[in-house]
Amino acid sequence: MDGIHDVGGKLGFGPIKVTHHDAPFHEAWEGRMVGIARGLARAPDWNSDMFRHSRELEDPVLYLTRPYFDQWYKAYACMLVGAGVVTVEELASGVSDGTRPKELPSPMSADTVTKAKRAGARFERPYDKAPRFEIGDRARARLISPTGHCRLPAYVRGHLGEVIAYHGAHVLADAAAHSQTRIEPLYTVRFRLSDLFPEREGAADRVHLDLWESHLDDAG
Amino acid sequence: MKDYDAKMAAQLQPLIHSHVPSEPALRVKALETLLVEKELLDSAAVDAWVEVYSDEIGPKVGAGVVAHAWCDDGFRARLLDDGTDALKEIDISGWALGHLKVVENTADTHNLVVCTLCSCYPHGLLGIQPPWYKLEAYRARAVRDPRGVLAEFGVALPDSVSVDVWDSTAELRYLVLPQRPPGTEDLDEAQLAALVTRNSMIGTERDLPVKTGGA
Repeated sequence: MDGIHDVGGKLGFGPIKVTHHDAPFHEAWEGRMVGIARGLARAPDWNSDMFRHSRELEDPVLYLTRPYFDQWYKAYACMLVGAGVVTVEELASGVSDGTRPKELPSPMSADTVTKAKRAGARFERPYDKAPRFEIGDRARARLISPTGHCRLPAYVRGHLGEVIAYHGAHVLADAAAHSQTRIEPLYTVRFRLSDLFPEREGAADRVHLDLWESHLDDAG
Repeated sequence: MKDYDAKMAAQLQPLIHSHVPSEPALRVKALETLLVEKELLDSAAVDAWVEVYSDEIGPKVGAGVVAHAWCDDGFRARLLDDGTDALKEIDISGWALGHLKVVENTADTHNLVVCTLCSCYPHGLLGIQPPWYKLEAYRARAVRDPRGVLAEFGVALPDSVSVDVWDSTAELRYLVLPQRPPGTEDLDEAQLAALVTRNSMIGTERDLPVKTGGA
């Protein structure tokens, strides 16, 4: 989606607020929000792409100004209300109306965290077709403007790159965010900054993106 | 229970914003209380997660991996080949480490990691992102003016060093393997790990200082 979140290459945000040794959480509620997100009893078909897309749907002014973990709150609140797990009234009051969707599992216990902290999801899936691109191929990022979730950033759309790695077939985030399952070859594609941005002419610097097959056209 | 519906989420964003308390601390407190009442959340698990990312899982985990790679060429080669697989050797796995790609700085290449679309990060190695990593100024400019970004972090990169930027657009997560500082031949792995900073593993720092006088 052509939303405010797609900031790669955009100008005007000013200097970076550089820091070197930060505490993980600057206020207690930030840690609570991360803990809620990690410990919540959730439907098995929820995925991180839905979460990312929910955050992208934040009002653009709020996206740029509200604290980061407050945006997590909003993304989870949207998912919970949208799934019928909680109501807006419950969120506003903090008081339960006494209902609980039966199909949801029990919440994670403190003991389970010991195991869950070691878990890292894998997104590669079986795929019986040949990938369309080989390493070394030139490929053009598609010039598309989908209304839904899209992990092809605007700053490379329409530009030529070089496929430098193939990672097998992965769950397509663009579909997973909309409760659909599509499995596609995933590549790392290298773009020269000099091809993307006029002021970088002559620079040897490069940027690499991990893109699915439906993000790419033949170079031709 | 209904399926996740992006159209509904778009309508819910403003509705929720206008109905819940404006203070993030109050919103989050109300959410936690509500979810506990509904038996969808155990506050002890929230406590445990806060403890994990406050004390246990943070840049020191990544620093240990870097120091190990500096000391063991075989591990270094395997780490660069398949990060997730190599981490199993030293019993490390975790959040966002399902597809780890380690990229190595050399005399003529510098690596810089960003997520322009959100804030993807190798949490199991570096913990919670620093504030600047999540903000638009860094996310926007890292892919367009990486040298300017590095200069703001105090890194003056000579023209002879080219920059490779890695934008985390899928589920691969990136860790920069910084160069081992010269003059550290006598240090053991734990002493080496103490030299490795969080920013050097994201790529916003390059030359790690050698601590003298009993490092």
